[in-house]
Amino acid sequence: MSSTLDVPPRERSHGEAPGGASRAASRARRRRSGRLTPYLFLAPWFAGLLFITAGPIAASAYLSFTDYSLIGAPEWIGLDNFQRMFDDPRFYQSLKVTFIYVVVSVPLQLAFALFLAMILDRGLRGLALYRSVYYLPSLIGGSVAIAILWRQIFGSDGLLNGVLRFVGFENPPGWVSDPDYALGTLIILNVWTFGAPMVIFLAGLRQIPTMYYEAASLDGAGKVRQFIQVTLPLLSPIIFFNLVLQTINAFQTFTQAFIVSGGTGGPADSTLFYTLYLYQRGFGNFDMGYASALAWFLLLIVGGLTAINFIAAKYWVFYGD
Amino acid sequence: MHTIRRNGARAPWSTRVGVTGGVLGLLLTTAACGGDDGGAAADGGATREDGPVTMRMSWWGSDTRHAATQELIDLYESQNEGVTIEGDFTGFADYWDRLATSTAGGDAPCLMQQDTRYVREYADRGALLDLTPYIEDGTIDTSDLDQNVAETGAVEDATYAIPTGVNAFSVVIDPAAYAAAGVEVPDGESWTWDEMVDTAAQVTQATGGQVYGMQAMGLNGGDTNFEVYAREQGEALFDENGEIGFTAETLADWWAIEKEASETAAEPPPSTTVEVFNGGVDQALVATGRGASGFWWTNELPALTAGAGTELEFRQFPTTEGDGETGMYLKPAMFWAISSDCESPQEAAMLLDWLINSEDAVNIIKADRGLPVNTELREQIAPTLDAPGQAAVAFVEEITPGLQEPPALPPQGAGEVQAILQRYTEQILFDQISVEDAAEQFITEVESAIA
Repeated sequence: MSSTLDVPPRERSHGEAPGGASRAASRARRRRSGRLTPYLFLAPWFAGLLFITAGPIAASAYLSFTDYSLIGAPEWIGLDNFQRMFDDPRFYQSLKVTFIYVVVSVPLQLAFALFLAMILDRGLRGLALYRSVYYLPSLIGGSVAIAILWRQIFGSDGLLNGVLRFVGFENPPGWVSDPDYALGTLIILNVWTFGAPMVIFLAGLRQIPTMYYEAASLDGAGKVRQFIQVTLPLLSPIIFFNLVLQTINAFQTFTQAFIVSGGTGGPADSTLFYTLYLYQRGFGNFDMGYASALAWFLLLIVGGLTAINFIAAKYWVFYGD
Repeated sequence: MHTIRRNGARAPWSTRVGVTGGVLGLLLTTAACGGDDGGAAADGGATREDGPVTMRMSWWGSDTRHAATQELIDLYESQNEGVTIEGDFTGFADYWDRLATSTAGGDAPCLMQQDTRYVREYADRGALLDLTPYIEDGTIDTSDLDQNVAETGAVEDATYAIPTGVNAFSVVIDPAAYAAAGVEVPDGESWTWDEMVDTAAQVTQATGGQVYGMQAMGLNGGDTNFEVYAREQGEALFDENGEIGFTAETLADWWAIEKEASETAAEPPPSTTVEVFNGGVDQALVATGRGASGFWWTNELPALTAGAGTELEFRQFPTTEGDGETGMYLKPAMFWAISSDCESPQEAAMLLDWLINSEDAVNIIKADRGLPVNTELREQIAPTLDAPGQAAVAFVEEITPGLQEPPALPPQGAGEVQAILQRYTEQILFDQISVEDAAEQFITEVESAIA
């Protein structure tokens, strides 16, 4: 990623130099051998997928149709697990929590990431430093240590409330221990990990030829107009990429909620993420069959939403062709 | 992505493929869970005569317990040539995830620490070894065990677990905190639930909220707290058939006490309550000088005292009538059980016997796994305990005559009760549900958990 970004930004070549026939042949040869290279690089990932992931995926597909307590043999019960979901209030609660989280945190995070990418794209001094600093939360944001730190900062007597009390708020709430605020705090934690989409936005911004901005500005377009009519359309494939990726990530959020609520999804189920509920059922409540069914239902949800995303993309993503 | 920048026209295709591929990969990682069946039980099993024996032993607990147990293992290994024991330990919550997973993988530890809530979960599914033959042939000697609890690991004719020790769920108070607030220290003989909440509210008021009168009842040990209350009313959490043994009214009444305590500020505001609970024993109100009372197990007194720095005392549970007839009982603090997958059950049984009946072992572990279940050894180590340990012994001795029989092992699914109770308690404290509705829904949920 970083080598991509280190290419001087504003030099765009226009077309390739004309070459002779022999040159074209050698290029074709290179292209053929080049076709194998990507697969070679992908091979370890595929091996992992086949041997480490595919087995469990197949097993969980089978288990989702069984009553399986972890101890003892699974017992085939057909679609019972899937029917059971619709009578399970905590299933609905976990869906609600997860959807709120995705719908609020992903757009916020992307907006924030784009905003900072645009500031950084203006050619600041020490860009590499800023880039690293802002990227850091993305690397550590999902970690246990950060979740624990977060719990301290946002506790009733935590750092944040210390500051709030100092500036005169009498009774600041417990940001992670009050059901009205706990989910919001986790959303902020997710927005804070804006670094990964930011770096991708930054790369995308640098691919937009300057001549469009020059042309727009000659036509009298201001900064806002340029943003709406040049930046957004040309960046739309990148926005789309980030949107899909972050949506999927957000659906899979687990660590933060697990640590911050001590594994309960509390207080009062206000942070009962879908994956956390799935985990509780499978590993805490000897209900691995149901947990597997939940996992597959999540796959359906995320797959469905991603498909919708792709269909919708036809109407707003501009690939320039 | 490199290509797009150089030439705006050709690149989009590769972007599209990249996006699609990446997404597919991520999608696939969403659904992966797994496991396989446990193996069949071994019968005779390998002993040290057949060559070196290696066994795994698992427990949950604090750092003190880990250190002491490691010391036990070292001593046992040095006294028993050819036996190697691998220790495997975590905190309480993680322990069960781990035990379930390793059992599912056919890799359960030979000797495992167990809890009343989970014995049947494992035993009913054939994951625990019936210890009866080892008791009958004397490998495990149960003759000196405390008769109040010796049988608590039994299901019908089989014995699946042997208690490590006993403790009682009781009230821990900080007399100095009451005194400092100018409130009379409760005597514990005749106090009622109402008096408990009243005096606690007075403490909070007198100290301007610096010290709260009590800690919430429904979070730490909430299931046992309610069990004691239900037994006081002549009901039970689970009856001897493993069915729900209480009425919704009783539960609603108990929650009403909690609600009253919350509304009169006898206990801290709900969000503080949640945080204090998440902090465990170390963050207990009485352990941090922020509270005058709380409900704790007798074997937790040393840990509470270490934090508090003042002398804490035990009290009996309050009662509705003020007649001192509580529903308290001596609980097997935890159990030792042997996996049905264990390849050397005879060796595991010998280790189990040593852990509960040998003077060496009890001198090391003292009262950490409850007051030792071997009553002779219990008396023998009592004088060597630190002050809070001795207070626990004295308190248990004092109340034992008036105690009820311990309840039978709860049914499968009992491990979920505490989490369900905690969730409804939080909803009640945060005004999301009435105590009556919570009680009805709690019963429905527990019924489906134990079904």
